[in-house]
Amino acid sequence: MKRILALLMVLVVMTSIFAGGSQEASSAKADDTPTIRLMTDATGIDDKSFNAAAWRGITAFYGDTVANASNRGKYYDVVTAQTQDMYVPNLQQASDEGYSLIAATGFTFADAVEQVASQNPNQNYMIVDVNWLSSPNIRQYIFKEEEGSYLVGLVAALQSQAEGVKNAKFGFIGGVPSSTITKFEMGYIQGIHAILPNAEIVDYYTNDWGAPDKAKAQAKNWFDNGVYCVFSAAGGSGNGTIAQAKEYRLAGKNVWAIGVDSDQYEDGLYTKTDSAVLTSMEKKVENATLEALKLVKEGKFEGGIVEYGLAQNGVDYAKTNKALSPDVAKKVDAAKADIISGKTKIIGKYADALKAGVVPAGLGAID
Amino acid sequence: MAKTKKDGTRLQQLLANDAFVSILVVLLGFLVGTILVALVGRKPSNMYKAIFQAFSGYNLDNGKWNPRYLFESINYAVPFVLCGLSMAFANRVGLFNIGAEGQYVIGMTVAEVIALLGPQIPVLHWLSILIFASLAGAVWGGVCGVMKAKYEVSEVVSTIMLNYTALYLSRIICLQLPGANTFKTANYPKTAMLTNPLFQKFTNNSMLNNGFFFMLFCVILFWFIMEKTSLGYGMRATGFNKEAARASGIPVVKNIALSMAIAGAFAGLGGGIVAVGSFTYGRVISGQDGYGFNGIAVALVGNCTAWGTLAAGYLFGLLKNAQALMQSKNIPKEITFIIQGLIVVFIALRSGLQILNNYLDKKRIQKEASK
Repeated sequence: MKRILALLMVLVVMTSIFAGGSQEASSAKADDTPTIRLMTDATGIDDKSFNAAAWRGITAFYGDTVANASNRGKYYDVVTAQTQDMYVPNLQQASDEGYSLIAATGFTFADAVEQVASQNPNQNYMIVDVNWLSSPNIRQYIFKEEEGSYLVGLVAALQSQAEGVKNAKFGFIGGVPSSTITKFEMGYIQGIHAILPNAEIVDYYTNDWGAPDKAKAQAKNWFDNGVYCVFSAAGGSGNGTIAQAKEYRLAGKNVWAIGVDSDQYEDGLYTKTDSAVLTSMEKKVENATLEALKLVKEGKFEGGIVEYGLAQNGVDYAKTNKALSPDVAKKVDAAKADIISGKTKIIGKYADALKAGVVPAGLGAID
Repeated sequence: MAKTKKDGTRLQQLLANDAFVSILVVLLGFLVGTILVALVGRKPSNMYKAIFQAFSGYNLDNGKWNPRYLFESINYAVPFVLCGLSMAFANRVGLFNIGAEGQYVIGMTVAEVIALLGPQIPVLHWLSILIFASLAGAVWGGVCGVMKAKYEVSEVVSTIMLNYTALYLSRIICLQLPGANTFKTANYPKTAMLTNPLFQKFTNNSMLNNGFFFMLFCVILFWFIMEKTSLGYGMRATGFNKEAARASGIPVVKNIALSMAIAGAFAGLGGGIVAVGSFTYGRVISGQDGYGFNGIAVALVGNCTAWGTLAAGYLFGLLKNAQALMQSKNIPKEITFIIQGLIVVFIALRSGLQILNNYLDKKRIQKEASK
C-alpha cells in the first residue's frame, strides 16, 4: 500500500513536470494582431444566445469558426464566471494579462466592468446591453431589439394572412422581466398590430431563463386555444416553445414559434426539411465584437455608447424557413427600409407605448 | 472522530487518522483530475501553474508576483468555510443540514435590506448587518430544527424545501428595495460595506474584506462550543446516539433545535458577508450561488471539525480562484468541479478504508494466534 501511494505521488509530480512546456496564451504580443478576452456569465459560450454570438464574432475576426477555433489561446480566449462575485476578480485578472480588448456580455457585468475599468484607465473594454457607464474606456453596445422584434411581429401577422388564418391570436413569452425584454415585447406587438390592428395578444413571463418546461406548458395551452404564433425572448426557456410547436406541427396543427437572438431554424426542424421556427429575431452581437476588434486593430477604438439597430445591421429577422412566403418577406423588407430611413419609429418602453396607444394595457412587461 | 489504535501497524494508524485520510482523498482527486486533463489533450502543468498562482500569487509564466491572487483565494474561501461550518455543526448533532443555501440566501437578503434601509452610522451599520444576517439564518435553520425536534419532520426535506422558499422570498423582498430592477438594487451607502482600505492597499485591490475576521471568529467559536463546552458535549452525545443521550438526561430536543439555529447562523453570516463584502449593490438573485451546497462537500472533506472545515473551505476557495486562471491557460474550468466532485466521492472511501483496516486487524490477530 505504501509503495502504491509513493508511486501515485511520483506520478503526480512526473506528469506535472513532463507535461510542462511552452505557454500559448498571452505569448503572442509580437505581431500587431489584437488580442481579446471574452468574459461571460455562468451560462458560457454554449448558451446558443448572445454569449455564443459574441464568441462567433470573435472567431470570425481571426478567420476561425466556432468548431475550429485554431487561434484560441493565441489571440483570443474566454473566461466563464461561475458566480457573480467572480466578475471583478476575473476582470482584474484579464486586465493584468494585458489584452488589447476585454469584452463582457450582459448587464449583470455592468458594475464590475465600471469598477475595474476605472482602476485600469489604459485598458480597452467593451460591454453589450449596457448604456449607462461613465468610464471613458468602455465601449457600450446597446441593441434596438424593438426594431428586430417589430419585423418578426410583421412576419407573424403577414404569414397568418397569407395562410388565411381567421382571428389569429399571438403569444409572447418572456424570461425574467426587464427593460430589455420589454423592448422585444413592445416591438413584436407593434409589428402585429401594424397588420392586424385588432389581433389579440397574450403574454407570459417564465421568471427564469432556464425553464423550458414552463414555456412549453404555456405554449401548449395557448396553441390549444387558438394562438397561431408564439415569440419567446426567454433564453433557454424559449426552447420549450419551439419543442411544443414542433410537436403540434408534426401532428398537423398550423402553429409557429419564433426564435430569438440567433437563427433558431435548426432547433425547430421536425422533419429533415421542415422547421417549426417561422423566423427568428436575430440580435447580432457578433457584429459588435467584430466591429470593436476592427477598431482596435485600426487604432480607432474609443469608449462611449453605440446604438445597434437595423441601420447598423445589429438586429434583423431570419429568412431561412422556406415556409415563409416570398411575398411576406418582400413586405417585411419594405418595412425594414422604412425603419432604416427613419419613416417608421418603434417604441421600446411600455409606458411610452401605452401613451401612444399602440399596445394593450395589462401586459406582464415592466418599464 | 475515530480512535487511533495504538497496537496496529504504522499504516493502520495512518488509515485510522481522519486528517490523513482527508489529505489522501484530496491528492487522489487531484491525481484523477490530472489524468483527465491529460486525456482531453491539455497540459496538466498549466492546471498546477494556475493552482500555484491562486495559492501564492506568483505567476510562473512571467515571474510576476501579484498578491491579489493569493488573497482572492482567501476571500472566496470565506463563504465556503461558513457554509461548511453550517453543515458540519448540524452533522455533529446527527442532522443533515442541506439548507445552508437557503440560510445563506436569507442572510444575504436581510443584509441587503439593512444595508439600504438601516441607519448609516459608521461601523455600527455593517456590524448590525452581519448580526441580523446571522439571526435571519438562525431563524431559517431553527425552524427546521424545531420541526425536527418536536414533530419529527425530516430536516433533509424541510431544509431543502426552504432553500427554494428562500430564493423566491429573496426576490420578492429585494424587488421592493430602493432602486431595484430585475437584477440589482441601488448602490449601498459607504457605511454598509465591509471593505478594508488596509487590505485593499496591501493586496492590490483584492476583494478581501473584514468578513475574513468574522469567518476566523466563527471557526474558533465552532471549535470552542463543540469541544470545550458542556453544550457541545451534549450535542455530540446527541449525534452519537440520541436515545442514549436522552436517557443520560441530555436535553435532546433543545439540542437539535439549537444546533440547527447555530448552523443557520453560520450560513446566514456567510450570505451577509458576500452581500456587503463582494458587492457594492444589492443583488436581486435569479439563481443560487451554490456556496451552501458546496458547504456540504466542504464539511465532508473537513470531517466536520472546525479546523478541517477551515482547511477544506480554503481548498475550495483556491480551486474557485484557479478556475479563471485555468481557463486563460486553456484548461476547462469544469476540471475544478470534477476534482471537487471526485474528492467528495473518494470521501466515501473512508468506510472502505475502515473495512480494510478491520481486515488487516483480523489478519494480524490470526497471525499472532497461529504463532
